[in-house]
Amino acid sequence: MFALMNNMPNLLGDQFASKFAWFPEQASTFAAENDWLFFFITWICVLFFIPIAGCLFYFCWKYSKPKGQKAESNTAHNTPLELAWSILPSFFLVAMFVMGARSYLDQRTVPEGANNIGLKAFKWGWTMDYGKGVMNPELHILVDEPTKLSMRSSDVIHSVFVPAFRAKKDVVPGRYNYMWFEADVASEQVSEAELAAATKENDGEVWDYDKWQFTPDGYKFFDLYCTEYCGKNHSVMQTVVVVHKTVEDLDAWIKQVSKRPVDQTPEAWGEKLYNQRGCAGCHSLDGSKRVGPSFKESYGNKRPLADGTTITADEDYIRNSILYPKKQVVAGYQPVMPSYQGQLSDDDIASIIAYLKTVSDYGPKAAANTGEEQTSTEE
Amino acid sequence: MSAGSLPSGSQVRDPGYPTPSENYLTNSKGVLSWIFTLDHKRIGVMYLVGVTVAFGVAGLLALLIRLHLFQPTGMVFQGEEANNWYNQVFTLHGAIMVFLFIIPSIPAALGNFLVPVMLGAKDVAFPRLNLCSFYLWVFGALFFVSALCASGLDTGWTFYTPYSTTTDSSVILATSGAFILGFSSIFTGLNFIVTINTMRPPGMTWFRMPLFLWATYATSIIQVLATPVLGITLLLLIAERTMHIGIFDPEYNGDPVTFQHFFWFYSHPAVYIMILPAFGIISDLISVHSHKRIFGYRFIAYSSIAIALLGFLVWGHHMFTSGMSSLTTIIFSALTFTVSVPSAIKVFNWLATMYKGSISLTTPMCYSLAFIFLFTIGGLTGLHLGTLATDMHLHDTYFVVAHFHYVMVGGTLVAFLGGVFHWWPKMFGKMYSEAGGRLSALLVFAGFNLTFLPQFVLGSRGMPRRYATYDPEFAALHQMSTWGSMLLGFGLLVALVVLLRSLKSGKRAPANPWGAATLEWECTSPPPFYNFERAPTVGDPYDFSNLEWDAENERYVKIEPAREIVPEEQPVTEPVHAEDSK
Amino acid sequence: MSTIEASPEVGHDEHGHDHDHPPFLAHHFDTPEQQFDSGKLGIWLFLVTEVLFFSGMFCAYAIFRALRPEVFEGCSQFLNTKLGAINTGVLLFSSLTMAWAVRCSQLEQHKGLVGTLAATLSCAMIFLGVKAIEYSHKFGMGLLPAGLFFYDPSNPHPTDHPPYLLYICAPFALALVGVLIWLVVSAASGNKFQFAVAKPLSVVCLCFFVGVGLGTVLESGEDSADHVDVHADPNGLATASVMLEAEKSAEAEAAPAIAASGAMVPVEESVLEILATDPTNVGVVSGLNALEQQTAAAGTSTVTGDGEILGAVTTTEVDVMTPTTAGVFFSIYYCMTGIHAIHILAGIGVLVWLLVRAVRKDFNRQYFGPVDYVGLYWHLVDLIWIYLFPLLYLIR
Repeated sequence: MFALMNNMPNLLGDQFASKFAWFPEQASTFAAENDWLFFFITWICVLFFIPIAGCLFYFCWKYSKPKGQKAESNTAHNTPLELAWSILPSFFLVAMFVMGARSYLDQRTVPEGANNIGLKAFKWGWTMDYGKGVMNPELHILVDEPTKLSMRSSDVIHSVFVPAFRAKKDVVPGRYNYMWFEADVASEQVSEAELAAATKENDGEVWDYDKWQFTPDGYKFFDLYCTEYCGKNHSVMQTVVVVHKTVEDLDAWIKQVSKRPVDQTPEAWGEKLYNQRGCAGCHSLDGSKRVGPSFKESYGNKRPLADGTTITADEDYIRNSILYPKKQVVAGYQPVMPSYQGQLSDDDIASIIAYLKTVSDYGPKAAANTGEEQTSTEE
Repeated sequence: MSAGSLPSGSQVRDPGYPTPSENYLTNSKGVLSWIFTLDHKRIGVMYLVGVTVAFGVAGLLALLIRLHLFQPTGMVFQGEEANNWYNQVFTLHGAIMVFLFIIPSIPAALGNFLVPVMLGAKDVAFPRLNLCSFYLWVFGALFFVSALCASGLDTGWTFYTPYSTTTDSSVILATSGAFILGFSSIFTGLNFIVTINTMRPPGMTWFRMPLFLWATYATSIIQVLATPVLGITLLLLIAERTMHIGIFDPEYNGDPVTFQHFFWFYSHPAVYIMILPAFGIISDLISVHSHKRIFGYRFIAYSSIAIALLGFLVWGHHMFTSGMSSLTTIIFSALTFTVSVPSAIKVFNWLATMYKGSISLTTPMCYSLAFIFLFTIGGLTGLHLGTLATDMHLHDTYFVVAHFHYVMVGGTLVAFLGGVFHWWPKMFGKMYSEAGGRLSALLVFAGFNLTFLPQFVLGSRGMPRRYATYDPEFAALHQMSTWGSMLLGFGLLVALVVLLRSLKSGKRAPANPWGAATLEWECTSPPPFYNFERAPTVGDPYDFSNLEWDAENERYVKIEPAREIVPEEQPVTEPVHAEDSK
Repeated sequence: MSTIEASPEVGHDEHGHDHDHPPFLAHHFDTPEQQFDSGKLGIWLFLVTEVLFFSGMFCAYAIFRALRPEVFEGCSQFLNTKLGAINTGVLLFSSLTMAWAVRCSQLEQHKGLVGTLAATLSCAMIFLGVKAIEYSHKFGMGLLPAGLFFYDPSNPHPTDHPPYLLYICAPFALALVGVLIWLVVSAASGNKFQFAVAKPLSVVCLCFFVGVGLGTVLESGEDSADHVDVHADPNGLATASVMLEAEKSAEAEAAPAIAASGAMVPVEESVLEILATDPTNVGVVSGLNALEQQTAAAGTSTVTGDGEILGAVTTTEVDVMTPTTAGVFFSIYYCMTGIHAIHILAGIGVLVWLLVRAVRKDFNRQYFGPVDYVGLYWHLVDLIWIYLFPLLYLIR
């Protein structure tokens, strides 16, 4: 077992101060107080537990007697003792309650002027709304500034949990829940060389956060988990929190993700959106049927709809499916896709359409391929 | 005088052994005599078999969970549907354990057998209702099995909406099963309340009852009051799924959090249904195996009722992060602390009972010691969860998983096992191997701690609940936990084997192998089908002064002091003044 | 030292009964008093569980009514108060006959007992008959729980619906036929006991159709007056609900969000209208509704620079007959009255069993427990209806 513990991976950027730390790194203003209170309670518990366990084993040893021997005493009452052990613990309990309630009220009271970020939870991903149409799954905030999250869910109950911040709140459909925190540790950035090497090795695949322990932009991060069971991919409904040192840094990042970079093709941007904005969870690329139809058979294909008609999945159909998904549902699927109305710009939608053309068996590339095959068989 | 020889001249009272035609296990033969039995003892035995099977199934599912979590990417389930399989396994583990095992185990399996006998009565107040309860349990179990075989169940045992109203799995079958099981629970509770109220023997006032009966009474109050609310909650869930009544659906101006309020209004008192009978068993076990009067009887009795009633006020502490108002949240936290006080005091009372007692380290005593140790840890970690600020970090993490397993498994299961070992000679007339029994207690204790202690750390470090895969930094602790679960499983298997072997080759059990003073030990082991010829004389249930160990026959017997004939002289045959008249 | 072993006592007569262990006394009880006390406590506990069972629904009612009082007022118009009042009277009368039955059993008036039990049963059947009319009428009009709601104010009485009334009456008709056949057969074969049971039972089954008839007569008299287009109480409630509607158009298909994003409005609106024709797009329908009402409400008011609002807020008519509003009311209505009706059915079953035992003369002055207990249950069922009636039918 000790070998196991020594070999325990102590991954960079993963947030334990030491191998044997009880808590993750303290990265918000709540953390220190919370941890202190936790250890206060724990020490009180130890204070009571050691005597209890001690008495337990000691009495067993000392008063263990052969069968038939009577007990040494038969006292069944001791009023002063009983009063003492009823009243004394109560003081500790009151202390715990008061301290807990106080800290809690601080954590519930959003300070004035907090930076408000919208959060949308869906099965199975997150979208942070930075305003002015900028949406991204990663949560980027400023160090030493209170951040407020206005959260809602588009389907079932989820829950935001950032262990490093000791912050948690449920995200409920049909209403807004609010939480706030103030990060006091900024995220480090990795060197350019390291970032370049990782980008090269990742080579266009979905970015593996666990492997690299930094974001595609080179920031170390804190984990953000979904912590209310929400179905199949609940365990992978994770994103990251990056704390920026300066407001310029943060703004630069926001600008960078707000739209397609000039040097990126629509298809590449569309692929990024496919991975980041939750399409991947329900629409596969390899033909396997998930909650939604696979994109392999999407663009250009004739689709039978739930109402009995048949349409060809052209650009217009894809656009309508993104904005008004319940209007024309493919036969055999449930009308459960949430709408992206107001969350994708026109360019975003066009990029997605461009990307879908490349992955579909019925798209222009595929058509070109079959065209070639036909000409080759004709020969 | 050495222990084990009986004082000369005294009278020994011992009911002896039952004949086959009296023994409740053999007084009528054939499967039908069991299926249609009205004998509470047979019903108790059938429950025992049933809950053991349910425990086995759910236990295997638990082992599957721990095996899968041995690796961060999941070791058992692979492929596209791996997570779906995992979700179904943990849901069914929870649902079967809670509804089919933990809630019915002590009241139905042990309580049914013991309550009338402890009261010196012939049966419970409503024997046919009792049998009906058993068949409702079976029926409910069948519904769960059918849900398993149909589309499975993947909502978590807590059925939170809107996930449970929109998922494809067999939610309706499973909730119908739970609804039926609820009625089984209600009728059992109803039966016990009436029995204890109206069928106590002459001389058994409320404060001369064994504490197991106090615990059963308090449990039954909760069963009767809380379970109907679960019933209506599940009905509303079914109605929401079938008719879209809209109560939990934000689309129809409903509120998903309402479901949580309704659900936990039952489910929090339900955990007291699980633990109060365990407290009752431990009170009796500690007292008997320390051969010493229980310390603070009245307090333990009152605290059981207090826990039962206070338990209805704290359901919100399962929902601290759901978005309730601050005031509501704070009130629930305060009330949660009040309900912890009675439980703590019970622990002190038990320790005080052991002080200067005459302790025999029998198997039931070993389990009781394990209980005190494990339940104390479970209860103390509840303080971290009841404190609002720390709960913000710990809610829905493995810390909660560890906490409730400590109280439910380390608490209820261990007490249940202790009770089974304690009353096994009475129920089946056989003694088991003490060495085997004590070994099982040790293995269970060690395995359990190894499984769940690391989970406190896992939770504090941020590992969320109900995750099929996890970040690699949590791997070492998960692996420790999995090894522990294997040990725990093995220990439980040892316990089962020890008990089953005793049926085949155990020594014949005397009426009172442990030297207890409650009424169930005054009939034979096993009892005759009519329990007692006439209502037995009620004494003090915790007075061990007239119980002596008869080493020759390896049993305890009740001693009555030697009787004197009064007057000592022979009666005169002549009139007193006969001489005068001569 | 002597050991006293237990020995079986000899003191029973050949039937295994003691002389003071009468046949109606169960073997595990010592005295009839103990048996009666146990049963009494048992039934009271059961009634407590029933109250808690219903309390969940009363909670739901309270929550929804507090949130949307105008919906409840509006929809209550669809409930026929006359029929509700008749049902209340019938149930009250049945409670009377039930209490009378308990008295008869205590006084060993066997014929009276059978008669009063039959009367109670008949009242229960009338209740169900009236309920059948109410339910089938509403099913036909589309006044169903939220998910199935399809009421259309312009066509309140569609005639192309399945014969719900027939479906509901079928099992009762079967029962009536069965009982009548039994009556004839038992009369013919001279089986006095079965005849004595079948006679009151046939009256009971007939009473279901008496109830149906009563309901039909009274429903048709109300037809024209009842189903007017429902408008909620105007003023604050209307605007408040309008704003609530706007907020609660949850999905991004909501109109306000589109208005906010600016340039795209004209195109989106027409698409929305197309979508709104599909009734399953509940969010869109509500959203469009909300937009209309919001525009109407805001039409006459202006906001000055310092935040004041000039002008009056016109009263608007809020249409409450949508699935998200009226549907919820009817969900609660069906849940509460439906579960209550199931309890009436269960009560009927138990009362029939009591009737059979009464004909068999099982009860005497020492043993009337079952009648007493069923009486208590029946009183509770009646009491629950007494709460339901004003809460659902008498809201205005």
